[in-house]
Amino acid sequence: MALKRKIAYIDLTTGEIQVKPIPVEIRKQFLGGRGLDAYLLYNHTKKGVDPLSPDNVLLISAGLLAATCASATTRTHVMAKSALTGLLGSTNMGGFFAPELAWAGFHHLVIRGKAEKPSYLFIHDGEIEIRDAGNLWGRSTTETQWAIREELRDPEVKCLVIGPAGEKLVRFANVMTGIKDSGGRTGMGCIMGSKNLKAVAARGTMDIGIAHPEEALEFNKRFIDQIASSKVNQTQGTLGTPFIWGATNSWGGVRARNFQYNQCEFADDIEPERLDEIATETMGPHHMAGCFGCQVHCRARYKLPSGPYAGKYDEGPEYTTLGAFGAMPDCRNAETVLTCNYLVNQYGMDNLETGAMISWAMELYELGILTREQTDGIDLRFGNDEALVEMVSRICGRKGWLGDTLADGGIPASEKIGRNSFDYLVQVKGMNNLHSDERATPALALNVATASRGSDHLRSRPAIDLYHLPEEVLRKIYSSPVPYDGPLSSDHTVYEGKPWQVFWQENCYMAVDCLGICKYHTVFLGPTHPNFEDWAKVIRYNTGLEFTPKDIWDVAVRCNTIERMFNLREGLTRSDLKKGDMLNHRYFDEPCRRGAPGVVGRYIDKEKFIRMVDELYEHKGLDKEGVPKPETLKKQGLESEPSHRL
Amino acid sequence: MQKNNKILKIDYEKCTGCRLCELVCAVKHDRVSNPVRSRIRVIKWESEGVYIPVTCQQCEEAPCVLGCPAKALSRNEDLGRVEVDYTKCIGCRTCVSVCPFGAMHFVATDRKVIKCDLCDGDPQCVRFCEVEAVRFVDTRDLGLEKGREAARRLQAADRKAVSLLGAQ
Amino acid sequence: MADEDISTAEALRKTRTYGKIRCQNPSCMGRIEPKAGQTHVKCPECGMEFRVHWLRPDFPRIRGPVWEVNRKLAEEALKKKEKER
Repeated sequence: MALKRKIAYIDLTTGEIQVKPIPVEIRKQFLGGRGLDAYLLYNHTKKGVDPLSPDNVLLISAGLLAATCASATTRTHVMAKSALTGLLGSTNMGGFFAPELAWAGFHHLVIRGKAEKPSYLFIHDGEIEIRDAGNLWGRSTTETQWAIREELRDPEVKCLVIGPAGEKLVRFANVMTGIKDSGGRTGMGCIMGSKNLKAVAARGTMDIGIAHPEEALEFNKRFIDQIASSKVNQTQGTLGTPFIWGATNSWGGVRARNFQYNQCEFADDIEPERLDEIATETMGPHHMAGCFGCQVHCRARYKLPSGPYAGKYDEGPEYTTLGAFGAMPDCRNAETVLTCNYLVNQYGMDNLETGAMISWAMELYELGILTREQTDGIDLRFGNDEALVEMVSRICGRKGWLGDTLADGGIPASEKIGRNSFDYLVQVKGMNNLHSDERATPALALNVATASRGSDHLRSRPAIDLYHLPEEVLRKIYSSPVPYDGPLSSDHTVYEGKPWQVFWQENCYMAVDCLGICKYHTVFLGPTHPNFEDWAKVIRYNTGLEFTPKDIWDVAVRCNTIERMFNLREGLTRSDLKKGDMLNHRYFDEPCRRGAPGVVGRYIDKEKFIRMVDELYEHKGLDKEGVPKPETLKKQGLESEPSHRL
Repeated sequence: MQKNNKILKIDYEKCTGCRLCELVCAVKHDRVSNPVRSRIRVIKWESEGVYIPVTCQQCEEAPCVLGCPAKALSRNEDLGRVEVDYTKCIGCRTCVSVCPFGAMHFVATDRKVIKCDLCDGDPQCVRFCEVEAVRFVDTRDLGLEKGREAARRLQAADRKAVSLLGAQ
Repeated sequence: MADEDISTAEALRKTRTYGKIRCQNPSCMGRIEPKAGQTHVKCPECGMEFRVHWLRPDFPRIRGPVWEVNRKLAEEALKKKEKER
């Protein structure tokens, strides 16, 4: 039974390991995965804990439904206090690790302390061992995984690893599994590195009982048919996540040259169709691959066609990669994008943060804020592909003054570079934004400004807002499982009704992050994708737990509140540009210059934006300062947190 | 009952490596999720991006049938499969050793061997594989599909050759 | 399958459209139905021009704008907006 999966407390300093069951009452309140991680983080860290100290806890989890007979229950979640932001660190990845962890008997790992020497954990069928990783230190993410399999003599072992970037405490280092499955945001690889933890290896052969196997099987089929028959899925299953580029870069929602333009023009060489040609040429027509149990199969297998790593096998690139190494630094060549993709995958470094940091530095260089002396002689102009590739390596290795400076993340780097460099850093809560440009889309601007882990598109983005769906379709989606009769608009350039959409999506994504289901199986990019009602069935058939759609919603709301409580405890202040729910001034001051005629000239109206934040706070039960009201805590059963029940 | 002429046909190049076939196989047969209970396995070389589903070929001259000292394995012509009679099986795992495909498995917790039974005519791996890497097809003209593909390639090559000659 | 058993997502399935694309101009969002194999389309409503990619013979998608036209329209719109300001 999924409910039999346990939690392990591992102290790397003392080597002590304690295993406990997870009580059903806790499941009912927090489900599992990200939600339960948030509870654990709030309970197992003290206010103001130094993220890089042994007292920070690293939480690794599988969702409640990991490896059950529910579609794409593949996501691994990792949480800790972030050294990049000083606030909530939280990241989520696909692949095959979470199911393996569940088959090995565990859903949650609470890792504290610091190992005396490089180590890795091996978790197998209820047992946990701390093993020496001396021979793995310094090795790339893939080399590490294959070496562990060889050492353990088992090709089916699945590993979560850090690469050289995590070892060198690059603040935005990834936790990775497989070739390219990355927990990239908020630098959880840096926290792993600070604990001298190179990898967590898992191998499980323990049964996970299914409460109602026939129903679970049949419902899974129905769920998959619903997804596989959609247009968005058929597109994504052919072109991967880069498919989004076709729309966003057509209307002008892609930030180019850091934040100077909102469209990457004449970029045919990095369009998804071109990348698909490369994958077809190097891996054949059937080059798409899937995560565990998923029929979306959105990642491409390809070999680098040219450049210094020609012939190397890699996977992706993702939509994010096109922006990070294409649009933002203005390097519009497939070879460059794919080379950088390969490097960050091998180094274990967030593609988004890496590309955004370099692009920001390029703008500073153009403005004369960064000198050639500070760039260590690199001609860091926009569009200099060689400089971009070189900087990726320098950041990972902390080579040179600039490589070392950028590796510390945006805010510390801006303090070191000085002058008005911070004004050009497109970040929220210390984390850079995706290459999406939200100046024409108030809903999306609200999403990135208020996301719990810093500027982020996967926490609450109502991406379907861009589809201009008929209002009755929006109404149907957004008024379930809780009623909503306020304003909703099909127009993505208006401000009305958007806070509710952001609130709804925030709960939708939290729900699946608790269950361990991929967001591509939700109302993220597909308006007709499964929803709270479908998850209630999936939970019942697989675990036997009875949840109404509204119950799941309530759990999600509660988990979002506890993330908020953590952030507030660690210093979140509503209007603080570095630690708050606020956007860079460029959103308000610089109108869009490119894209569709209906986008040109648009910018975010600051007053209206502030009113949207107010409205979102009201939906969330927060006061004007963004702090949960006492009645909200009471209603959600959080009034006595930290409660130290697990 | 009409004699079954269908077999599982695996086009491994179409496999996305998701292992849903393993999941549904275990749930269908043993009502639990556990890939070591699956009768079909996706063998992977992840460093090269190669994924190959492997399962019982229901051999005509099956080594497992020939090798079984307890005569527990036999061919069921009606269902077109090789099957285990668990009342006779002594659990010696000879079948696991002799199977040339590694398609016989021994479940350590249950102390018994398992193999593909084609889900009695409705293989779940096939039903769930959207990309059709695993199909349940008639054996009557098995080579035809590949033959047509090869012929198409030959035709394309021939055209190219003609155009090259014409250019000289 | 009983009606009450159908979820919101499943009920919305009938709203899906195939074979059409939307103009990417947010102040337009007109429906465009390219003819089979057509690689360029012009939005009859707003004049934006797009390059079309066919995922399948019956499945078109917008690959990107026609760059020269896109740039011209954007610059005109920007001039107009600046005048209004």
